[in-house]
Amino acid sequence: MTGGDLAARQAELVAALVAGGPLPAGFAPAPVDAARRALLRKRGGDVARHWPLLAAGLGAAWPATFGGWAAGRPTNGSLRDGWDLARELRDRGTLPALGAEELAAREAAARYDGHRPPRPRRLPAVGRAGGAVAVQLAGRVRLLRPASR
Amino acid sequence: MTGPHGVGIGWRPEIAGFVADLPRLRFVEVVAETVAPAGPLPAGLAELRGRGITVVPHGVKLSLGGAEPVDPARLAHLAGVAARVDAPLVSEHIAFVRAGGLEAGHLLPLPRSREAVAAVVANVRRAQAELPVPIALEPIAALFDWPDDELDEAAFLTEILDATGALLLLDVANVHANARNRGADPLALLDRLPLDRVAYVHVAGGADQGGFYHDTHTDPVPAEVLDLVGELCARHRPPALLLERDGHYPPAAELRGELDALAAAAGFPVVT
Repeated sequence: MTGGDLAARQAELVAALVAGGPLPAGFAPAPVDAARRALLRKRGGDVARHWPLLAAGLGAAWPATFGGWAAGRPTNGSLRDGWDLARELRDRGTLPALGAEELAAREAAARYDGHRPPRPRRLPAVGRAGGAVAVQLAGRVRLLRPASR
Repeated sequence: MTGPHGVGIGWRPEIAGFVADLPRLRFVEVVAETVAPAGPLPAGLAELRGRGITVVPHGVKLSLGGAEPVDPARLAHLAGVAARVDAPLVSEHIAFVRAGGLEAGHLLPLPRSREAVAAVVANVRRAQAELPVPIALEPIAALFDWPDDELDEAAFLTEILDATGALLLLDVANVHANARNRGADPLALLDRLPLDRVAYVHVAGGADQGGFYHDTHTDPVPAEVLDLVGELCARHRPPALLLERDGHYPPAAELRGELDALAAAAGFPVVT
């Protein structure tokens, strides 16, 4: 296990920590698993800062909800992680009202195809989620209708 | 612009008001990735600079320990931030944060091998060639080790510092965490590090969780970490100590108490 393969071994380790990859040979499972969980907690905190209403809406369920969604799924950055999670919860019918209002506002403000970074919308637009309706005019977003509670 | 001196605190937008109200504060650190090299500084930070307070950019995503060469754009950003805040030095970690196209999301440990030493040294030299100021390197807290370490922690760090001439940013909370989680003696490490190379010291809180001590930066500074500050100062007092807090911000009185405890442990003037 020596000589010139540091790049490959680092890649294996990161894959094990964030992408559900197998534990590389020779590593102690329990400490690496503790590190994997710590990374998920830190990432959950980062996403909560970018999506404060989504996290607040989930309250005590946030760590488990985020952790369950994010485990084995590499990050695309906090903004997109939160966006992807909010859309998935919306599709499952479990997006809390606060999260729906935040998602509606984000959808009105930017165009996000789920694959590339979101881009600000130049034209007026309406965003909807869970009954919430947000409108964006000249870059300013207003919530027209709150989510159903 | 003088180097960091005395007791400082990690500047974060959430506690900008608290930091601005510290009457005798002389230095802060700012996460380099959160500052734009061109354009206006965050309001609170600009005010501190206006008062002549030293600002040290602290990088967290350069990945100096990555096997690949450090990303020139990230390096240029760090250099730009250093110039923007007129920093006396910058700091980064002996760690890697990405590999194989995946972001780990936090600092990961390197194998303590000759190959890893060579990779870090090459990247630190690339950084030094672009940076307008010296760089201080921070050893991290790690929950796990690689299976094939050739060097112990002190030898690993000393080789990197010797080969690069870099300064040391010693994090006593990381020293505590690593010793606790490996059943090692933190003082034995302090005794073998080149303490005359310390530019400043990090202090932070943590908590036990799932059988490990986690360096969370969101919990109070434990007594053991404060004791380590005292042990460090008894050996070689560093020029400066910096409190890192990254969330679950306590009431101002509690945070002031931690800054006062740092000052007392090191014999520095209080900043509160």
